[in-house]
Amino acid sequence: MSRLERIARQSDKAYAARHDLSRRGFLMTSLGAGLAFGFARSAEAAQHFPSAGTLPGGGAFEPNIWCAIAPDGSVNVNIIRAEMGQHIGTALARIIADEMEADWSQVGITYVDTDPKWGLMVTGGSWSVWMTWDVFRQAGAAARTVMVDEGAKILGVPADQCTARNGVVSAGAKSISYGDIVARAKPTRSFSPDEMAKLPLKPAGERRLIGQATTALDIPDKTTGRAVYGIDARLPNMLYGRPKLPPTRYGSKVQSVDDSEARKVAGYERYIVLEDPSGTVPGWVVVLATSYPAAIRATDALKVTWVAGDTAHVSEDDIIAHGRDLIGKPGGTRIFDDPGNAQAVASAHRTIEREYITTSVAHYALEPVNALARLDGDVWEIHCGHQWQSLWLPVMAKALQVPDGKVVMRTYMLGGGFGRRLGGDYAIPAALASKEIGGRPVKLVLTRSDDMQFDTIRSPSLQSIKAGLDEHGAISAMQYHVTAGWPTQVMAPAFMAKGLDNQPYDQFALSGADHWYETGPTLVRAISNDLANRTFCPGWLRSVSAGWTPWALECFVDEAAHESGHDPLDYRLSMLTAQGRNAGKAPSSIGGATRQAAVLKRVAEMAGWGRQLPPDTALGLATTFGQEREMPTWTAGVAQVHVDRKTGVVTCQKLWLVLDAGTIVHPDGALAQTQGAALWGLSMALFEGTRVEQGRLAAHNLDNYTPLRIADVPDMDIVFMENTEKPSGLGEPGVTVIAPAIGNAIFRAVGVRLRTLPMRPDDVLAALRDQTRS
Amino acid sequence: MTKFELNGKPVSVDAPDDTPLLWVLRDDLMLTGTKFGCGIGECGACTVHVGGRATRSCITPLASIEGASITTIEGLDPDGNHPVQVAWRDGQVPQCGYCQSGQIMQAASFLKDFPHPTDAEIDAVMGGSLCRCMTYIRIRAAIKQAAGTTTHE
Amino acid sequence: MLKRIAAIAVALAVVAGGGFLIYAWNPAITPIARPNPAAFPHDAVARGEIVANAGYCVECHTRADLGGGPELAGDYKMNTPFGALFSPNITPDVETGIGTWSEAAFRRSMYRGVDRDGAHLFPAFPFNHFTKMSEQDISDLYAYLMTRPAVHMTHRANTLPFPFNLRILEAGWALLFVSPGRYQPDPSHDAMWNRGAYLAEGDAHCGACHTPRNLLMAEKSSAPYDGAVIDGWIAPPLNAHNPTPVVWTEDELFAYLRTGVAPLHGSAAGPMSPVAHRYLGRIPESDVRAIAHYFATMDDAAHRQFQDAAALAAALKASGRDLSGPQHDAAVRLYQGACAACHYNAGSAPVLGRPELALNNALWLDEPNNLYQVMLHGIGASEGQSGIAMPSFYAGLTDADMARIAAYLRATRTTLPPWTDLEAKAAKLRAAVGPPPINASH
Ligand code: FES
Ligand code: FES
Repeated sequence: MSRLERIARQSDKAYAARHDLSRRGFLMTSLGAGLAFGFARSAEAAQHFPSAGTLPGGGAFEPNIWCAIAPDGSVNVNIIRAEMGQHIGTALARIIADEMEADWSQVGITYVDTDPKWGLMVTGGSWSVWMTWDVFRQAGAAARTVMVDEGAKILGVPADQCTARNGVVSAGAKSISYGDIVARAKPTRSFSPDEMAKLPLKPAGERRLIGQATTALDIPDKTTGRAVYGIDARLPNMLYGRPKLPPTRYGSKVQSVDDSEARKVAGYERYIVLEDPSGTVPGWVVVLATSYPAAIRATDALKVTWVAGDTAHVSEDDIIAHGRDLIGKPGGTRIFDDPGNAQAVASAHRTIEREYITTSVAHYALEPVNALARLDGDVWEIHCGHQWQSLWLPVMAKALQVPDGKVVMRTYMLGGGFGRRLGGDYAIPAALASKEIGGRPVKLVLTRSDDMQFDTIRSPSLQSIKAGLDEHGAISAMQYHVTAGWPTQVMAPAFMAKGLDNQPYDQFALSGADHWYETGPTLVRAISNDLANRTFCPGWLRSVSAGWTPWALECFVDEAAHESGHDPLDYRLSMLTAQGRNAGKAPSSIGGATRQAAVLKRVAEMAGWGRQLPPDTALGLATTFGQEREMPTWTAGVAQVHVDRKTGVVTCQKLWLVLDAGTIVHPDGALAQTQGAALWGLSMALFEGTRVEQGRLAAHNLDNYTPLRIADVPDMDIVFMENTEKPSGLGEPGVTVIAPAIGNAIFRAVGVRLRTLPMRPDDVLAALRDQTRS
Repeated sequence: MTKFELNGKPVSVDAPDDTPLLWVLRDDLMLTGTKFGCGIGECGACTVHVGGRATRSCITPLASIEGASITTIEGLDPDGNHPVQVAWRDGQVPQCGYCQSGQIMQAASFLKDFPHPTDAEIDAVMGGSLCRCMTYIRIRAAIKQAAGTTTHE
Repeated sequence: MLKRIAAIAVALAVVAGGGFLIYAWNPAITPIARPNPAAFPHDAVARGEIVANAGYCVECHTRADLGGGPELAGDYKMNTPFGALFSPNITPDVETGIGTWSEAAFRRSMYRGVDRDGAHLFPAFPFNHFTKMSEQDISDLYAYLMTRPAVHMTHRANTLPFPFNLRILEAGWALLFVSPGRYQPDPSHDAMWNRGAYLAEGDAHCGACHTPRNLLMAEKSSAPYDGAVIDGWIAPPLNAHNPTPVVWTEDELFAYLRTGVAPLHGSAAGPMSPVAHRYLGRIPESDVRAIAHYFATMDDAAHRQFQDAAALAAALKASGRDLSGPQHDAAVRLYQGACAACHYNAGSAPVLGRPELALNNALWLDEPNNLYQVMLHGIGASEGQSGIAMPSFYAGLTDADMARIAAYLRATRTTLPPWTDLEAKAAKLRAAVGPPPINASH
């Protein structure tokens, strides 16, 4: 027997042994196991799973599904959110551990598989902390309550004389650790959600972990290569797959397949024309091989002819033109429709009307999308990085034609999410291919160009804003129309929000437009661009619509201020009156527009708003509420830019940001998220962006898609307002203010107004030429 | 059979000559710390050391490294405590982490060439390593920490 | 390595008319029994090995395609525009090699390009250089070859059509373009120079690649070492026409020829790589030094060197150009993403292993061939600077991408006029690569 065969056998045996136990047994095989000498290429190799984290040993006390304390004192926190760079496990575990009064050094986290008991498994919208805040504090309180009660009994003192601190219950000189309490008292008490909701929570002043500096639990493995991502998953006897993608996202049909050339590729196994009852991947063909390079090459060699769908010739311009058409017609969903808005605009002292465009943006999550699927007994296992298991598990079940209970998703580290992995179009083809070959494991990996071709892009958008101004130049009425492809309509219609008259709309293609400014009678209308929806699969992309609606709104506000001779800062502050619907509601939006005014003032101070700058250099301002009215993260930003009149190059020299996200749970994580989000904003403002051409994305890789790199990074100054309100989100708000702040700064620097995003040097030059001409 | 040295040990691999080193490392030798990002040599996620120099493994054919000595993130330091790794942890650099093996390998070799790096040097060399989470500010700071210098230009 | 020289064979216009027939006729030399290898003195064999390495015999006499062949057994394929030529077996095999060749027959072939049977050899065999070799060297080389393992090798047949297949025509060619005769030392130079000249002009046949050829594919005596295109690569000028900003000094030449890397010029890649790594690395250092000395004299290094410090400073300044601060130029971003991490330099000299493109030969030549070839093929760990590798960008860069980078570098890292038709030239060289060197990983 060759060494390889021996290793393969051993791993098979080990696999079988573990397999009979429980899924918890799937621990990552030691890295370097492959460092045997003289390895031959083989699909048969040891399995590779993410670490199961710190699991409590036998006899652990589980007051609820979220946490457990083991007799050795270790504390496990179950995390249902995907880890994609937010260090979310750390932040959430800090919430529970703080309330529990646990010893942080004993706390570990487990990223769990899908199970209905977890409820909604989704990681997106900057929701994780906000959504988990109450539940986890209650869960921690439940654990603390039991520890104190049981500890008091053991110590022989009344519970109300005991304090819990750092994993120890003490009363005077007596004390006992949580681990010992569990070991001795073997508590079994559990709490219903109702009981949990009634438990007293610690006052903000007694928080010991929340808001304090710490290091993220997921980081060490990310510096040694040990972190396991979806693309690292491995199972014995696994085949590698790569899709052969049809010419259009929808409506393509396979006519014929010729694999005579593919068969010449060593390692090629076969191709599969997918039949997808869920309709997610119409016209996809999957090529299977014993190695991924062979799959790549065989896919290139495979000849498939399709009848293309009817969007094969659609361009970005068509989509924008269609949007313009839709805005001119009735329809869409009204979110605000204050009485008399039309009349108020029409009869205003003067009106201004502007149109703003944003072009397609790709996610380019650095890990190309991929999934590993197999049938294990009668359960389909899907291994991948994923952000919205609750949405896609049923779709997967439908594709496989099995009940939901027969599908389990194992979530790995995500090599970037940014909303791309809220989609499931990459997991379904893996599952279908595996099904076709009897459930044998298939690891499907998209090459980068595959990944980009069918990326769920940020749809091109068109926004039109018309405002009436009174004799002082203040906005006295507004009509605001927003149109783009609607991701939620395409992928998750049941999750759409309801506008006026109970009309559904995609809040993720509108949020940001439903602003907190006092603008008199206001209309805000969301319109689905059906041509976009049919041409590609529109996606949720970091900060979703708030990545582009403020581009229009905040540029427009600056334009209105300029037209009426007001300072943009004063002009905004005068509209942040916190009256009526803008007053805010406890707990999430308490304070309303006053909090937005506060961040705006603060950022203006920090940036030195109004100070003198060198020629062709200026500050620009913007403010948003993060992205959702229900969960506002009050955000304001200033950009300092220099415009080179000769080349049209805009250099962003510095960014200032102030955010009020309520309580900041993990300060360094919050800072990291905001740094990243702001740079995404900068990247989308000046560096990246592509176009739909012939029904697909023009860009296919880094040679023609150019996200921000290290040399492009400006100085940044980021501040969080300090308060103890309910935390909102921080993954995305940093994005929202950057593009408009830069657009406004360009105007103040050289007097040209750009209304298309991204703002490229050529656009600046063209605008400067127009300016000289007129 | 292509023979080379991997993290200090001799290995031989039976794969077609034109197989990119990246897949040999990840799939045949099961060292998955090295990542696939762009596949065209422009993101740096797949960076390993060949003869001590940062090299994009995704476009390096197996045959071309015959006899060479390869180091991956797993072999950079036996305990994961290379000064660059330590600085990365101190500075809490990684977000999703996917680019970071490549960043660290690039930075480690960069610091050998430029032990007291300026911002311009960091831009020039690290400019080939894309971080989609945009951890660039921390990468810059961690490199300077690892270099034991806070010199600015 | 010398495929292109094979094109000589096709260039034989019918200048060699019947009048040459008499001149052209050579008698066969009587076959001998294969000499007993033990009969050759060890020191002769050892010296012969050096001669063989200095002349790269293995390179053109070993099959390179079809997975390679036994050393010196021939069947190396040389493509010409008209067909393929296959080199002969020069192991002492009696049937398919030179086992029955006497030393006299061997000598005649080296000096006159005529085989034992009296047939003319195609001048892909550079006997115009070998004719300069000393009798002693020929004798030692014979000893070395006759003591190699005899390999019975079946050759593929040449595919040259009539009339190019007429070996008799080679005689006319030789009459026109080859001046037979041993190397004559130049008393105006010292012994080292003469040793270098002897090797370069003779055994090492440098001019075969580095001297341009006329319409009949003979080396142009009027333009020795002016540089020439070979196998899609440019063998750069070895004289004062060499355009690199820093001159090729004796030290640079020596480092290049001995180790495959000249810190201020670049690495030996493509057809030149084995010259340094397989052959000149195995001959006495003093001989390599002598060749370097000879060419340093030829390129007038001593008189041109005064500009080097300024050129070096300019190159290092250009190296970091556009790489710091935000960039919007598409070519810059491509260069930044694909190239700069390895090629950027700063300070007072490039870092070894970080080839400085502003100094590199490839950017300063009249055509982008070498730059493109290196982009397409990369440089393996056994080529260029040993132990390190440049990846192959065959799948990573499109023709348009290659053209963008080439135009950008030419414009910003040199002072020379722009290259033209860059994309078409990239496509042409790519097409010649044959099967892609790497899986397209998109
Ligand atoms: S994966 Fe190799 S450079 Fe991007
Ligand atoms: S940390 Fe996510 S790509 Fe760099």
